[in-house]
Order: sequence, then C-alpha cells, then structure tokens
Amino acid sequence: MKRQSVNYKLHAWRLKTMIILVIVCAAIGIISSSFENKNKVGSIESDAAKDSVASVKAFMQVYKVLMSPRCMNCHPSGDVPLQGDDSHIHTMLPKRGKDGKGIYAMKCNNCHQPENLPGLHKPPGNPNWHLPPSDMKMIFQGRTPRQLAKQIMDPKQNGNKSKQKLLEHAHDALVLAGWNMGEGRSLPPMSHEEFVKVWTTWIEKGAYAPPR
Amino acid sequence: MISLNINQKNYDVDVNPDMPLLWVLRDVIGLVGTKYGCGVAQCGACVVHLNGEAVRSCVTKVKRAEGQKVVTIEGLAENSDHPLQKAWLEVDVPQCGYCQCGQLMSAAVLLRENPNPTDQDIDDAMAGNLCRCGTYLRIKKAIHLAADMQRKG
Amino acid sequence: MISFRWLAEFGAGDKINAAADQWYELTGYIKITPDNVIKIFNPNPEFGQNVMTSLPMIIAEELGVDWQQVEVEMGPHDSVKLGPQFTGGSNSVRMYWKPLRDAGAAARQMLMQAAAQAWSVPVEEITTKAGKLIHEKSGKSGTYGDFASKASAIPVPKGVKLKDVKTFDVVRHSKKNVEGLKIVTGKPLFGLDYKVEGMLIAMIEHPPAFGMKLKSFDGADALKMPGVKDVFALKLFEDGFELGGFDTHTFNDILVVVGTNTWEVMNARKKLKVEWEPIGDRKETVNMFGRKQEVTIPGGLESSETQYQKMQERAKQPANVLRKDGDPETAFKNAAQIIERTYNAPFLAHNCMEPMNFFAHVTDEKALLAGPLQAPGWTEPTLSKVLKLPADKIEIQMTRMGGGFGRRAYGHYLVEAALISKQAKAPIKLVYSREDDMTYGIYRPMYTATYRAALDANKNLIAFHVKGGGIPEHPVHANRFPAGTVDNYLAEGWELPSNITIGAFRAPRSNFNAAAEQSFLDELAEAMGKDPIEFRLELLKRGKENPVGKNNEYDADRYAGVLKLVRDKSGWNKPENKKYNRGVAAYFCHNSYAAHVVDMVKRNGEPYVERVFSAIDCGVVINPDAATNMVQGAVVDGIGNSFYGGLTHKDGVAQQNNFSEYRIIRIHEAPKSIDVYFVENDIDPTGLGEPPFPPVFGAVANALYKQEGKRYYNQPFKNGNINKDNSIDKKAF
Repeated sequence: MKRQSVNYKLHAWRLKTMIILVIVCAAIGIISSSFENKNKVGSIESDAAKDSVASVKAFMQVYKVLMSPRCMNCHPSGDVPLQGDDSHIHTMLPKRGKDGKGIYAMKCNNCHQPENLPGLHKPPGNPNWHLPPSDMKMIFQGRTPRQLAKQIMDPKQNGNKSKQKLLEHAHDALVLAGWNMGEGRSLPPMSHEEFVKVWTTWIEKGAYAPPR
Repeated sequence: MISLNINQKNYDVDVNPDMPLLWVLRDVIGLVGTKYGCGVAQCGACVVHLNGEAVRSCVTKVKRAEGQKVVTIEGLAENSDHPLQKAWLEVDVPQCGYCQCGQLMSAAVLLRENPNPTDQDIDDAMAGNLCRCGTYLRIKKAIHLAADMQRKG
Repeated sequence: MISFRWLAEFGAGDKINAAADQWYELTGYIKITPDNVIKIFNPNPEFGQNVMTSLPMIIAEELGVDWQQVEVEMGPHDSVKLGPQFTGGSNSVRMYWKPLRDAGAAARQMLMQAAAQAWSVPVEEITTKAGKLIHEKSGKSGTYGDFASKASAIPVPKGVKLKDVKTFDVVRHSKKNVEGLKIVTGKPLFGLDYKVEGMLIAMIEHPPAFGMKLKSFDGADALKMPGVKDVFALKLFEDGFELGGFDTHTFNDILVVVGTNTWEVMNARKKLKVEWEPIGDRKETVNMFGRKQEVTIPGGLESSETQYQKMQERAKQPANVLRKDGDPETAFKNAAQIIERTYNAPFLAHNCMEPMNFFAHVTDEKALLAGPLQAPGWTEPTLSKVLKLPADKIEIQMTRMGGGFGRRAYGHYLVEAALISKQAKAPIKLVYSREDDMTYGIYRPMYTATYRAALDANKNLIAFHVKGGGIPEHPVHANRFPAGTVDNYLAEGWELPSNITIGAFRAPRSNFNAAAEQSFLDELAEAMGKDPIEFRLELLKRGKENPVGKNNEYDADRYAGVLKLVRDKSGWNKPENKKYNRGVAAYFCHNSYAAHVVDMVKRNGEPYVERVFSAIDCGVVINPDAATNMVQGAVVDGIGNSFYGGLTHKDGVAQQNNFSEYRIIRIHEAPKSIDVYFVENDIDPTGLGEPPFPPVFGAVANALYKQEGKRYYNQPFKNGNINKDNSIDKKAF
C-alpha cells in the first residue's frame, strides 16, 4: 500500500505545480494582452521604452490632428473626398478610382495643380494630390481613436509601412501639405513640429491603442 | 520664352510662366474655343487636354504645359469630325453653346478611357462641367451616341 | 501678338464668296446672289433660345426656299430694316411672326414679278419651289438668283397672302442649330471671343458692397505691374441724367484698369489701393417707356437677415390693392376654415455662363461696339447722350450670348466699355470676372407672399387672398389664375426700397409666384380632399363658364388644356407610377401655358427628380426639337434654382461670389428623362423661353411634400438659406 500513496503524492505535487504554473502564465498573458503589447510591426525594443500611458496620451493628440479637416478630408469613408472646414462632400463628386487619383475628366490633378494658387476658392495644390487607392482606403472618417490607432499600425491597412516608415511618414510631402493648404482653410489643431512630437512619442512608446 | 505645342503646332510665347494656360490660349495665341467661366476650376468651360488629360486651364500655369502636348477644342479632330462633335450635332445639344467646348473636351477623355460608358460613368466624368442652359440630358444622349459611333468604326 | 480676321469670321456664313455688290436685297431680311445663295438675316440676338435658327425659318418658309439653301447671318443693328431687335420677354417669335412671314412672302412676290416681267407672262401663272421660279405653261424656269437683281428694284409689296400654316414644310419641322458646327469646333462666336488688332483689356474694380462708392484711389503700384497701360476713375452718368428703363447700374463711379491681356489686368487690380465710402440716399431720374419717375435709392449697407425681418414687419401693414372681386373681408369672416401660408425666396443671380463683357472703340466721331446684349435699341439712346454722338454714328454689333436670362437687357456695361474706350483712346474689351459678375447686382428680387384661402362648411373655396411683397418690387400678378375663378378675390402688393439693384430674371415675378401659388393650391386641394389637378380643372371650368371680374389674363381652356395633357401623358394616377413622389404645377405667363409633373425619388437620402413630364401650349411651334430642348433646359434650370439658388448679403457684401458658394445644378442632379408634349394647334406662336420655367418650382415643392411629408415654404429648398420658421440660416451668413 505504501507505493500507492507515494505515487499519489507525486501526482498531486505535479498537478499542483502545473496548476500554479498555468495560473501564473495565464495571469501574465492576461496582463500583457490588456496592454496590447503584441508589437505587430516588427523590431523589438526594450521594454523600458514602452509606456502605455504616455503612448495613449500622445495618440489622443495625434487623433485630433488626423481627424481635422486638413487630414480627414482626404481619408473619407466613401469614395469621394471631403472638402472645406465643414468636411462636406467635395463638389462635383470626384471619385477615388482604383489608384486614388480620380477618373476620366475628374482626376485630382486636372484641377489640383503642383502648388497652391493664390486667392480664395482656388483648389489647393501638391505634386502628389491623391486619395488612398481603392484597395487600401486608409479611412479616417468615422474612426474611433482605438480603431484608427490599430489601423495605422497594421501593415495590411497602412500601405505596408513598417514602424520606421511610419515615423518617416510624418515628414511626407503630402502630409506636410496639410499645414499649407492656402487661403481660407484652417490649420490642423497644432503645428507640424508639435504633431511630429506626439506622433513619434506615440509610436516610440509602444504605439498603444486607446481603450475606445 | 515658353515653348508650347498646341494642336500639333509649336508656339513660343513671351509670357510670365505663372500665367494660366487659359489666358495664354485666348489672349496671346488667339485660340478662343477654350472658355472662361469662373476662373476657379468649378465650371469646366476651360478644359483642355494636357498630355491627354482633361486639365482646367484657368488654374493651370502655362509652365506646367511647357514642352508638353496640349490639345484644345480646335484640335480635337482634324476635320471637325470627332464622334463626339458629330453626335453633338446629331442630337442638337447646344442652347447658348458657351459651355459646350469644355463639355466635349471632358467627354473625349471619358470615351477614350471607357468606350462603353454607362449613365453613371457619364455622371462621374461630367459632373464637373456646368451648363446653365440645362442641356445635360442631351449631353448624356450625345455621349452614348458617340460611343455607338466609335464602336461601329 | 498674332492677329486674326475676327470680323471676317464673326457672324459671317461659309459661302461669303460673292463680292458685296453682288448681294441683292429683298426686304431688310433677305439677300440673294446671282448664284442663288440665299442669305437670311436673324434680327434678334441669340442667347440659346434658338432664334438664330427659328426666325430665319419663318422667313424661309414664306420665301419658298429649301432650308438647305439658306445661309443665316446675324443681322446688324438696324431698326428700320430689321425691326425692334430685342430679345426678352419671350417675345422674339411672337413679335416677329407676322413681320417675317410678310417679308418672306413679299420677297417671293417680288421675285415672281421679276420673272413674270422677264418672261412676259402673268404673275399668277408663276409658281415657286425650293428657290426656283417656274412657269409651267411655257416650261420656263429660273432660280431666285437669276432674278434677284431685277426683283430688288421692285418696291416691297404689302399685304401679300401668306401660306396656310397647315402646309408648312420648313416651320414646324425640326432644323438643326445653324451655328452648331461653329459651337462644337470652338469658333469665335461670343462677345468674350471678339478681338481686333491693338485691342486692350479693361476691368473695373467695383466697390466691395452695395451702398458704397469710390472715395479715392492710388494706382501707382498697379501701373507698375506688367502689361498695365492705364488706371483711372470714371463717372458713368452725370447728376440728373435721365436714365432709360434698362440703364440700371449699381455703381456710378468706376475704377478702371486697362492693360494688354486679361490675366495681367486681373493681377494689377490686386495692387490697387482704394478707399471706399458709404453712400447716403440718392435720387435717380428714370424714364421707362415714356413714364418719367424720380426714384430715391436708400443708402445703407444691407444684410439679408435684417431684410427678412423688415419684410415680415412690412407684410403686416396695409398694402396697395391691385385687384378686388366681391367681398373678401366678409367671406373670410364667415369662413368655416381659413388656410394661410407664407412663402419666401431670396435674391437670385443670373450667372450666365459667359460673364458680362463688351467691346468698344470710341472716338470723337464715332463708336463701334460689339458683344453680348439683348436689346441694342434700349441702350443706344443712352450711349448717344453719354457719348454726345448721334445714333447713326453708333454701331452696335450683336454677338452670340453665352446666356442671357434677362441680365443682358441692362446695358450698363456698354456705357462702361464706351467711356473706357474714349478715355483710353483705344479699342478695349471690358471684361467682368465671375466674381465681378456675381456681385454686381441686377438680381432677381427677394420676395415674400402670404396666401389665404377661405373655405365654407362644405369645403368650397369662397375667397382667395394674396398679399405679396418684395425688395425692391412685389411679385404679384393680380389678374392671373386663380383670379377669375373665385367669387371673392383680393390681391395686394407692397415694396421695400433697396440699393441692391434688380432686373428681369427669366419670367420676372412669375418665377416666384408659380412656386408659392402652386404650392398653396396643392395645400388647398389636400384640405378639400381633392386631386390637385382636378381641383385646378374645377376652378378653370368656373373661369371659363362663369368668370369672375374683368381682365382675366389667361385663357381658361388653354390653361386647362396643358393640365389635361400632362395628366394624361404622365399617367397621373396610374398605379405603376406610385413609386414616385409626384408634384404637379401649371402656370400662364408670356402668353403661353405650361404644366409639369415632377417625379421625385430618394437617392442616397437626398431628394432627386428622376422624371419630368411637361405639357406646353405656345401655339405654332417653329422648331420642334429646339423647342423641346428649351423646355428641358427650363426644367433643369428650375430644379437647380429651386434647390440651390440664392444670394445673400451681409453689410452690403454679397456672400456668394463664385460657383464654389453659389451652387448650380450639375449633370448627375438632372432628371433621367424630361418628356415634352406640345398642344397641337394653329394659334399664332407665343413665347417659350420663360413660360416653362416658373411652374417647375411649384411642382418640385409639391413633390417634396409627397416625399418628405412636410411643406417647403422657403427657397432654396435644399440649401436652406432661410429656415422653415423664416429665420435666416446662420450658415448663410
């Protein structure tokens, strides 16, 4: 009978250990997933750089800019860009087209020149005026902060951008153009310099998405 | 001096490179088929083809056209017999006629890229061209007719 | 600069091979060469109403030529040879119907007489066919050209017998636009295309607001700009000048920049340093067709918001009685039910696609002007006085107009161009930018009207009252339907003066009335439980059989005729049309009758007019396809203006100055089909440019009610510058 009780005690110990280990792993798993530390865009950085609170706080500032007319108007939920400070649907309903550059006689650069033109109501300009293409719409309009953050960090939805590319994107000519749209168009809610700060902070601190 | 190629002819014009192509065409070169309606790219009366694309010449600086290929309504077809022009006459589209050159130039890009346009395609392509006289139904009919003519060769 | 033979291309036909002395004139409208080239002059300037084709058709018909033989040319300004030559009031065809038929018939008679003389045969034995003269008995024949010279020496006969309208083979048969090919190939046709060697461009820097004038300016910087030749200020009319009825102008002191090309002048304007000052009340002396009046134009910087408040206050006060039948006061007192509704509409800008412009070359001896205008005869006397030149030293050439709509009846821009040319000592073309054009004024007035109806216990209409007002004119047509169909009727009007200038806009007054009145009749029909068309037909029956009062301006039969035609053709109550939200309206104006059924649907959450059925009675239709085009255009114009049209002001400044803010209907918003039906009769033709336009507004309002379950009392229906409670939409300011 002695052998039986020894076996039982060994099993019990193993079982207890297993249970404790499982609980601990699960706890780690739960804690880490609640912070969304899934780092989907590649390079691993030290845990010390990540700061979910600072990251989310920075993103809420980023969100303000991206949802302002100068950015959101070219990231519409439909296939027609938005226009003006009240983000109404662009007159004449120019359609996105496959490459985002418009279609037929309503291509973006049929009216939008390589540079801004002086005077109210003239179309603003940029050499690369276009909407995101139809297979990568990069919609901002209607997105919650959480949705937008996740979308931006997803290479399948952000034009296949790595973290590095995302950091550089703040200096993209078309993004910069949002701060130079010409007469009668309000600026984004902070300077480009400030935007770069919060953008970089958000990403460098772990690109956390807000809870909502 | 700015070198332009308009309707397959070369012109050297001594103008400010910022002058809109519309006014170079109308005031300097003397091609008045391209019209002035608003000056802010809202009405489409000024549409010309720049390397085949329907640009609004009222906001296009002439320097953008330098060394490029420009086609105006006068050069749309050598014998004034582009299917659109024929269709326009067949359907008797114009009332006052002022907007029609711009309409034709926009429609020409549509037909080149889509030889079989639906009503929706026509709306998408032509919503930027205003007609104060309201000839829109005939414009649509004429574009369909021109597409037919093109298909039949 | 490359020069072109503009004058040679302008208005001239393709077959101008014959030398000038080989054109033989037979009446002022017809010239024929020995080679049998038949040239017919169009007397009235063309702005899309097709007169360049339809008026010569009338002549060709009686003249007896094939339309293919005819070459059309825009006539010169010559009221002796070519009649009053004004395009407006839907009057061209109506006014020229008899004179042109007479001219064609007379010329034919002259040719027949010439042939009869040459062949020594009785003129009664001569027939004509397609430009040929034939004497069957002898077998002799010849072309019109063979006898043109001889015929031109014969005095023009009067009272020649005209053809039976039932035998027409030109008129009543669709003919293509005679300028179609020129239009689609970009030939110079419009005023803005007009050019002569050495011509300069001039633009005016207007005050930024109504109620302001030029105080002082410094043009030094502007003069330094490339291409600029001159900067100066001019006064149009001296104090006390007696203005003609169509000399309306907003600004009397103008600041002008003259240069070599349009863009350079536009740039130079930006460098002007100008001081403006407000004007106080001022007086003008106006002589409108023989009636001289002194008018006070109030000073002040007006805003739409305060204007609306003023109108509503004024509407409560007594007004001028324009017509009274029976005893409306008592009828309303005894009414079982009173329905009262108020309608509002804002200023409208004409927005012709071609902005205002005119060419002028004025010297001390003579003046040549050329460009787009509707009535040279109305501006010439003013030019003569201002330039101190006799009328025979003033030549006004009429180019094709890129739209008119009434705006180009007001020749202020000719006076401006002429004075600028005189000052600059050069031929100039005055050009208005779109912004200049849209903010200059001469708008369709701002209107409001309150309609009241009294119903008895059996829901019969026993009294009808319209009290309309406007800035600065009221819209009421007191003698039009339903006047004459209601025993007790009262029409009143009041006006509030303004310094915002107004002018005729496609069916003046009617373009508002038809919206208001036709919506109101719809509400009445609903209150009575009647079908809207049947209700109107009942009233018209009364108007025909037992009309009330005098001077009822319409023919009740013909009015009922278009309603019945549109009812039938639209399948008014047919079940297959239930999916549409249908609105109907009918109207009489400019001597013609129009009725529309508008079929509205919801598209992407927005109202969209998908189909329209139109019934028109304008008598004999000269060019059926072109007439159809015009009606379709009027429908599109009506939908666009009722949904979007509206111009507002803040402190005298127009709040819309280009199409980015003043919305014009676009192709995707136009209906998929507009089926037009003309009542077939042989009545002498009446107008068509305006009549189809007003009822569109009413039909749209009525369709909107069916679709959305609420009535729209304020225009524009979609843009909503005016809220439903008559307060002003804050966004508009």
